[in-house]
Amino acid sequence: MILEIENLNKSYQNHIALSNINLSINKGGIFGLLGPNGAGKTSLIRILTHITEADSGTILFNGEKLNQNHIYQMGYLPEERGLYKKMTVKDQLLYFAELKGLNNKEAKIRLKYWVDKFEIKDWLGKKVEELSKGMQQKVQFIATVLHQPSLIILDEPFSGFDPINAQLLVNEILQLKANGATIIFSTHRMDSVELLCDQIALINKSEKILDGTLSQIQQQFKQNKFELHYQGEELLADNNFTIGKHHNNGDVRSCEIELKQAMKNNEILQLLLQKNISIVSFGVQVPSMEEIFIQAVNQKSNSHQYA
Amino acid sequence: MHKIFLICKREYLSRVKKRSFLLMTLLSPLLIALFYGMIFYFTINKSITEERKTILVCDESTRFENKLENSKLLLFKYKTLKQTDFEKTLNESAIDGILWIHSGTANIKYDLLSKEQPGIGLTNIIENKIEKIIKNEALAAKGISENTLDEINNLKVNISTQVKAKVGYEKANSEASSILGFLGAFLIYFFIFLYGVQVMKGVIEEKTNRIVEVIISSVKPFQLMMGKIIGIAFVGVTQFAIWIALILLFSGSVTSIIQSKMQINAAAIQGIQESTQVNQNVSIDFLQEFESFNIPLLLIYFLFYFIGGYLFYGALFAAVGSAVDSETDTQQFMMPITLPLIFSIVFAQHIINDPNSNLAVWLSMIPFTSPIIMMVRLPFGIPLEQIFLSMLCLVIGFMGTVWFAGKIYRIGILTYGKKPTYKEIFKWLFRKN
Repeated sequence: MILEIENLNKSYQNHIALSNINLSINKGGIFGLLGPNGAGKTSLIRILTHITEADSGTILFNGEKLNQNHIYQMGYLPEERGLYKKMTVKDQLLYFAELKGLNNKEAKIRLKYWVDKFEIKDWLGKKVEELSKGMQQKVQFIATVLHQPSLIILDEPFSGFDPINAQLLVNEILQLKANGATIIFSTHRMDSVELLCDQIALINKSEKILDGTLSQIQQQFKQNKFELHYQGEELLADNNFTIGKHHNNGDVRSCEIELKQAMKNNEILQLLLQKNISIVSFGVQVPSMEEIFIQAVNQKSNSHQYA
Repeated sequence: MHKIFLICKREYLSRVKKRSFLLMTLLSPLLIALFYGMIFYFTINKSITEERKTILVCDESTRFENKLENSKLLLFKYKTLKQTDFEKTLNESAIDGILWIHSGTANIKYDLLSKEQPGIGLTNIIENKIEKIIKNEALAAKGISENTLDEINNLKVNISTQVKAKVGYEKANSEASSILGFLGAFLIYFFIFLYGVQVMKGVIEEKTNRIVEVIISSVKPFQLMMGKIIGIAFVGVTQFAIWIALILLFSGSVTSIIQSKMQINAAAIQGIQESTQVNQNVSIDFLQEFESFNIPLLLIYFLFYFIGGYLFYGALFAAVGSAVDSETDTQQFMMPITLPLIFSIVFAQHIINDPNSNLAVWLSMIPFTSPIIMMVRLPFGIPLEQIFLSMLCLVIGFMGTVWFAGKIYRIGILTYGKKPTYKEIFKWLFRKN
């Protein structure tokens, strides 16, 4: 565990930003912090990065109570990006690295690594205002990771990236993970969550409504639905399952089977084998993160309504 | 501390490295000198700004015929005209006006007819010239000649003021003190505004560029604020140091030029007019007065009040910058900061007349006004205990404003959107982070 968050509360003058948040984040993984806009993601991140203080609750960083010294081990890319426009790329990156506790010599060595990697040598002497938007994004990303933080927090990292740079960023995130860093990123782009995250938590209206590993959650939201491709007579519903979305593509038919009660995969296959069909393929339908997200948020707001 | 140093370094270098810094440092004294030089030049050479006017005198009383004195700016011509010809003459001949002196002996009526509205100066000059003639006539009637009158008018009294010193008395130097005091006060006023606004702009820049969130995840808001204020203070001190160096570099040659010019003037004037000789002595006295000041000590005081006053106001400027999203929103919050500064510089002119009045002493204790008011008073020589007390008040004062600004700043820099009200800002003071 790199982070253990217990009973975290934070409220502003007029609204509650976080209520009783409990979270554990594994070391060396990618943690997706999901939630609609205004759910409290940024508030949580600002508490972790020491920008604001929580009203109550405890946060342990590597088993120690979170304190000012831990910020040297964190890299933070805020949702709203910002650099000094009149400063050169080099001065800017060295400045941020030094603020994160690196000495000038060390910062220069690390800078060289990233400069070679992103091939931005020609840009070092330029002022930020002369760079394109995409270049500025790269510079900002380097500023976030230059001091080799063990915890990297990215708030909506893909916003404003074109597909090519977004792919570059995905590769870098995976590389950082391979090097042993823990990455927390907040987003509402679900495709990137499925692609990257090992662990997720879903926050809605200041409360955590879901967390766990990606596979656990998908299991939890699995709705006993299966996809079947087969040949032969049309399959009809019976006591055990219903049929939805039937297609007939020439000699192969496909359908969605929804079980009336949970069953093991073997049992379902046995049931199907008794029918007069020949199975082409059989698969468990895994809910997409997008579906889970919408479902979980709606469920919660419905239960609030009727509570 | 290390963090503050890093921030301070960035703020300093990013400003000093700019080409415009060196340019402005070198150019602004030149521009100021040029500005005052031009005012001085035009005041002396009025003929540039004012054209010589020709006035046709139509003197029905015949009392002033050929008696009005011509000058650089005025030429009088005399002609007797009929009243009906006035308009025609005014339109056709190259004159600027007709001075119509009505006939009579007592309570003569004077009319100035002109094509354009005459300046108030012109009427005054003509009035004076007429008055002088009438007065001279009156004096002559009582048996006093013009020469006797000039002799009487040239009687001059010069009081040499002596101030009690530790031993005996010292020569007072009120004029030089006033000039030196006002110069110092004005410089501090100027510096506080110039660099205070730079602090404010820097804070707004960080806020609008959203850099602040990245930085605040590495340093405390207070460190960022102090780093910025101190960094910019060093920019000011650097600029000032360059000016002092330039003055020292050039003052030797300039002084010698002035002295040589004066000697020439003195030689040329000597023997021609005694009264000018007296003036000459006065200006030499004046230069000597400056030499009697303890300039290094005054410089140290100046630096203290400059830095103290700047820190006091700089923190407030930082707070204003943090509370708003853009420069256009600052005006409402700038008012309470700029008012005491403007108030001080206006009062400085009265303080010069009475540097030890009760009001002067009080204003030099209150940190809002003391940096400027104290600069005015210091050259007059004031009791040491007053200086210490004033300095102490200023130190306590800027610690207070730094605390106050820090409280507002830490909330302000992360608050976007609607411009806060005074009430909301007041609440920030007591809000937990």
